[in-house]
Amino acid sequence: MKSDIVKTLFTRFFSSLLTIFLLVSFLFIIIRLSPGDPTDKYISAKLGSELSEKIAEKFSLTQPVTDQYFSFVENVFKGDMGVSYNYRLPVFEVIWEYFSFTLVFASISFILQIILSIWLALWIIKKRNKWLDNFVANTLLFIYSVPAFVLGVVLIYVFSVNLNLFPISGLKSLDYDYLPFFSQILDKIHHLILPLITLTAAGVALFYKYVKESIDEVIQNTFIVNLRASGVNEKTILKKHVIPNAIRPLISVAGIELGIILGGTLITEVIFSLPGMGRLAIDSILSRDYPLVIGCVFTAGAVMILANFFADIIKLKLDKRLVKGILN
Amino acid sequence: MKSGLKIIHWIVLLWLLVTILRFDLIINYLYLIISYIGLLFTNASSALNVLSFSLVDASLSTLLFLLIVPLILFFRNRVPFLKSKLNFFFAFFVVLVFVFLFAPIITNKNPEFSKNLAVTKLLPPLSTVKQLELKSDKKQNSFDAEEFIIKLQQIIKPSFNDKIILADSVALAERVIYFQKSKALEIEKEKLIDKEGHIIIKEKYFLLGTDEFGRDLFSRLIYGTRISLTVGICAVILSFIIGIILGFIAGYRGGLLDIFLNRFTEIFLAFPVIYLVVLILALFGSSIISVIIVLGISGWMSLFKIVKSEVLSIKQKDFFSTAELVGLKKSQLLIKEILPVILAPVLVNLVFLFSNVVLAEAALSYLGLGTGNSYPSWGSMISSGQEYITKAWWLIAFPGLGLIFTIYTFNSSGRMLVKLFNPRLKE
Repeated sequence: MKSDIVKTLFTRFFSSLLTIFLLVSFLFIIIRLSPGDPTDKYISAKLGSELSEKIAEKFSLTQPVTDQYFSFVENVFKGDMGVSYNYRLPVFEVIWEYFSFTLVFASISFILQIILSIWLALWIIKKRNKWLDNFVANTLLFIYSVPAFVLGVVLIYVFSVNLNLFPISGLKSLDYDYLPFFSQILDKIHHLILPLITLTAAGVALFYKYVKESIDEVIQNTFIVNLRASGVNEKTILKKHVIPNAIRPLISVAGIELGIILGGTLITEVIFSLPGMGRLAIDSILSRDYPLVIGCVFTAGAVMILANFFADIIKLKLDKRLVKGILN
Repeated sequence: MKSGLKIIHWIVLLWLLVTILRFDLIINYLYLIISYIGLLFTNASSALNVLSFSLVDASLSTLLFLLIVPLILFFRNRVPFLKSKLNFFFAFFVVLVFVFLFAPIITNKNPEFSKNLAVTKLLPPLSTVKQLELKSDKKQNSFDAEEFIIKLQQIIKPSFNDKIILADSVALAERVIYFQKSKALEIEKEKLIDKEGHIIIKEKYFLLGTDEFGRDLFSRLIYGTRISLTVGICAVILSFIIGIILGFIAGYRGGLLDIFLNRFTEIFLAFPVIYLVVLILALFGSSIISVIIVLGISGWMSLFKIVKSEVLSIKQKDFFSTAELVGLKKSQLLIKEILPVILAPVLVNLVFLFSNVVLAEAALSYLGLGTGNSYPSWGSMISSGQEYITKAWWLIAFPGLGLIFTIYTFNSSGRMLVKLFNPRLKE
């Protein structure tokens, strides 16, 4: 059994590596297929063909495509994605600075989504009210249909412009540096409330659907009926038997959901001009800073692949029966 | 089901409404079509020169609009959908179809028309401005074609017209004085178009107000709907084709391609696709075609999974092996044997995909990477509205509502389809 788990882990790990490798290859193909001379993107064409030839040689653009491909893959795995045109710093250094914010922001939203949706689903199930059930489901479907940028802009209009409760954008107040440590944190939270609502709302709606379906399915099982018949009280059944069983299928949903959140942060960061990786990507596209854009896309993809890997490991930890299932 | 408003009633109601409100416009379009056909016979070469997209668009819309009555009468008893009970989603769906097909009839203002910014900038909904029209200096009726062009420009508004002056208010004295904000300007009476000595002062009406360039928000919304729906439909069709074909190959053949495609879909399903879409649009440039292609390519994976698993199970059925033995080609197998069986799950998927694509297109336009500035689009309208959020709520409210209701409608219809196809879920 133990060797089986190790084997599963290894296979899963290698398949993740393979996926990252595929992602890198895919990026390379896209970059090479894109129209225009790569040197044009680095220097102005007006500077003369001599300079651009020099740069082409320095970037090894004169070598055959296969050599370029291998050195690209090698560099990416070494952690070298080139130098950002705007920041004049290695790409990963710039990304790390912005990515840390996105990571924290996305994680808070992720945790909020899970807690809120499970709490809501449990509350609805306890109420056993058909009308309320339908009402919540329909409301959540409506919330799910509201695009993040519409929701964000409406929130800004209501709470920032009209009620003047929250700041319109940014992460820090102007006097942030002069505040004591505790107020600094409060200030950040104050700035993050609207973005968090924007990012979390649709996720809660999506998650709720899965949680509800999953719990409903578990409750219909015979062993729950058995427990009820044996006189175990409802609370214990819910806590010890329903929730642990219902949560398992959710973990793979959570892996996918994380991808949706990462996409959502991109939009949310742009709406509220927060210093995250998504806004970095959009800004660098608008300023034609291609190495940085590619770095951002690669980071987003790699994070997702890692997240799915960990989701599988957690699943394995919770349920050893899945050892064979994950392999496929 | 026997009583209450049905979809067919709603369609007729909308049709009557549009006909009453836009009666003269429809008559004008018809007149235009007839005189164009006349021109085609007398002077074919210049007729072809005059031909433009907006003319074709307006003519087709008008003809289709008039055809709706016989079509509805014909299909009344043949399509059960028309007789089903009306609810909010169906009602909105019909409105969307109307807007999509009959945009030139619903609004005859050009969505790009912008003039006298001082007067028209950021007007709230339901506001009006005065409109003066200068006489055109060209001599009329020299050619048939020229006459036709003048008529054409009167009916189908061009995006630029220097013969129009917009003003807040107009005073008639010896000369005509008109006010643009606090500025008072004068113009001779002779220069303006008049009718028996009286200067014609038209009222220009902005139902939903104007945007920061003084463009009519209502017509931008109407044409923006068209763009969004067009992108959605084309991208979904593209995804459908890719998903069906690859799914069929992977399920039917298996092998190395199957393994590769599985890996590939796994990345895509988990990947924050918007990053990739943004990268591709940034590298390849964003036009309406590239947006359609990118969204189409990024949406086929869930379809692929469904088709593949269905094909795997169908492969073992008797009817399929019989069809194989009879010697049908691969394409015939796909179209005749597999498509009818998998239609239900695929249809549900397509509906959800459509709402996703509409959302993605709007998000891309919001980020400034969508169909570009050349077309009005919901997302870019919201994005520009955010800059004027303190002054002009209507810039965000109307495109936002359009977007929300469209996505909500398609999500709900998708859900209804799921229930329709899986009656067991009802319990």
